[in-house]
Amino acid sequence: MRRTFVLLVLLTGVGMVVLSCTKPGGSAPDGKKKLTIAVIPKGTSHEFWKSIHAGSLKAAKELSAQGTEVEVIWKGPLREDDREQQIQVVEGFSSQGVNGIVLAPLDNRALVRPVEEAKRAGVPTVIIDSALASDAIVSFVATDNRKGGMLAADRMGELLNGKGKILMLRYQEGSASTQDREDGFVAELKSKYPGMELISSDQYAGATRDTAKRASENLLNRFGDEVQGIFTPNESSTAGMLLALQDIGKAGKVTFIGFDTSETFSEAMRNKQLHGIVVQNPFNMGYLGVRTMVENLLGKGIEKRIDTGVTMVTPENLDAPDMQTLLHPPLAEYLK
Amino acid sequence: MVAEVTPNRWWQFSGSIQNWLNWVGPILGLVLVILIFSILMESPGRYLSPFNLRIVLAQTVIVAIGAIGMTLIIVSGGIDLSVGSIIALSGVMTALLLNAGISPAGAVAAGILAGGVVGLVNGLAITRLRVVPFIATLGMLGVARGTAKWLAGQQTVNIPETWVNELLVTFPRPAWLLVAPGVWITLVLAIMAAVMLRNTVFGRRIFALGSNELAARACGISTDRLKVWVYALAGLLFGLAGVMQMSRLRQGDPTVAVGSELDVIAAVVIGGGSLSGGEGSIFGSLIGALIMAFLRNGCQQIGWPNYIQEIIIGAIIVIAVAVDRCRTSRSAV
Repeated sequence: MRRTFVLLVLLTGVGMVVLSCTKPGGSAPDGKKKLTIAVIPKGTSHEFWKSIHAGSLKAAKELSAQGTEVEVIWKGPLREDDREQQIQVVEGFSSQGVNGIVLAPLDNRALVRPVEEAKRAGVPTVIIDSALASDAIVSFVATDNRKGGMLAADRMGELLNGKGKILMLRYQEGSASTQDREDGFVAELKSKYPGMELISSDQYAGATRDTAKRASENLLNRFGDEVQGIFTPNESSTAGMLLALQDIGKAGKVTFIGFDTSETFSEAMRNKQLHGIVVQNPFNMGYLGVRTMVENLLGKGIEKRIDTGVTMVTPENLDAPDMQTLLHPPLAEYLK
Repeated sequence: MVAEVTPNRWWQFSGSIQNWLNWVGPILGLVLVILIFSILMESPGRYLSPFNLRIVLAQTVIVAIGAIGMTLIIVSGGIDLSVGSIIALSGVMTALLLNAGISPAGAVAAGILAGGVVGLVNGLAITRLRVVPFIATLGMLGVARGTAKWLAGQQTVNIPETWVNELLVTFPRPAWLLVAPGVWITLVLAIMAAVMLRNTVFGRRIFALGSNELAARACGISTDRLKVWVYALAGLLFGLAGVMQMSRLRQGDPTVAVGSELDVIAAVVIGGGSLSGGEGSIFGSLIGALIMAFLRNGCQQIGWPNYIQEIIIGAIIVIAVAVDRCRTSRSAV
């Protein structure tokens, strides 16, 4: 029994030493008040979230240089894409008393309670990337998906000179962001290009590249001979459609506009198999998320909805420097 | 009947010291964790504030209720890997019934019962089909998870506003409750389970079963029936954990709690439970669950990245068991 206690005491000692060694060095004496902003992504391993991280650090760096000391704490859910874990992270920050939270909610309903409780505890929240079904937020900083769909329709109309048969493969039922893109595409096509006919827009690609490829094959089997233009609203549906087109040797023969980035897409654009991709700007989303929160904390007026921008990348402008920064944000500069 | 008294009295005899050690170890661990974080924290006042305590307690509830059930199973010498899936299934079930217009009490009861049924099936597979618990419940992990996704149509099931949503809020509605209603429910259940495990024939039989199954059978205990009871009872508790999870998310989510069976098992093991059966206590397991919750909360508030948390929790599990082994090998001499 005595040995147990000796062991415990020893463990305590070792624990303390180890723990105090790993204590972050950020606790320098604060001259003036420092704003601590917690940024909570949906996960941490995807490129998209790394861009958001880098953007938020850029904002902190800039603001600190302008005289408002800002520290960004980056923390994703312990298990990626797990709503409960993300809730725990939000709760942890609100009781820790950070100055503000910038959150990309995994679900528009499940995260409402912790965000509202954080507000009650005096911690405001800016929502980025995906919407939250609550009025208790400072602002919603995200891609204007509808505008993204409209950009795709404009590009399509331009390339086909306003006439032709168009096919749109939807992403998945119940996904709000992609539905906005699809709606924007259809609305713009109908209002601005009456000469273009939407011959199929009721099929869904499903969650993965694989399901998207199968759906694409079925669609191309049916409409392959008459279709002149194709639009797909996200990464997996674009990748699946591209694979299906390449398989049947049709890639390059139809005008194809996709959404989101990937190395494969850049390659396909160089081979003229893909004629444009609509690209979001996650780096800017992270940047504006933190900036908006800080401005709110400093008492400045805040827009309730902030657009982080969508851009059409084409084979022609692909290698322009600003497009390259968009496709490859300067992660290394901010993420050590 | 006379033979049955023997394990009972043996326990009561050495119980005082054994119990005391079972208690003190985990509690010391918990105090240690809180102490270390308070020292490291820039603002320990916040870490120890009532607000943060309320949050940590509410976060512990799901693992804690699961750990009560798991303690019964582990003491009986078994294991249940399907906890996470049962949580998802019963949450989805409750959400679907709430949407179908069933009264909240009815829906909650059905969710708990769903967990009980899954536990019952586990117990039957183990006793009737002679499948070892690890495999039987590993199978159920897939079956229950799949069923949850199927019932939910592979989507989350949003629910209307009812009192079920209030079970685990940080600010309880009648403010005199101080902590979320779910925390009180957990406490009451824990006391009931502890009394049952320690002071009833049923509880003593579970210990006997886990200590030596053959001996227990020789003593006239119907071990198969007892096992089915244990798994079904634990299943009810896992079902309740699922209701709590749904209440926190305010939706039935078929993909929630993946891997949380390991949290639950870790809580029991940190609390002094032995995977070879016959050892473990409800309060130890609760403390185990609290240790992990405080660790997570503390790591986050200090600003450590997730991987440090995972490493620390992993190390603590091994250390806790090592300390336990060291202790039991001493007392066996």
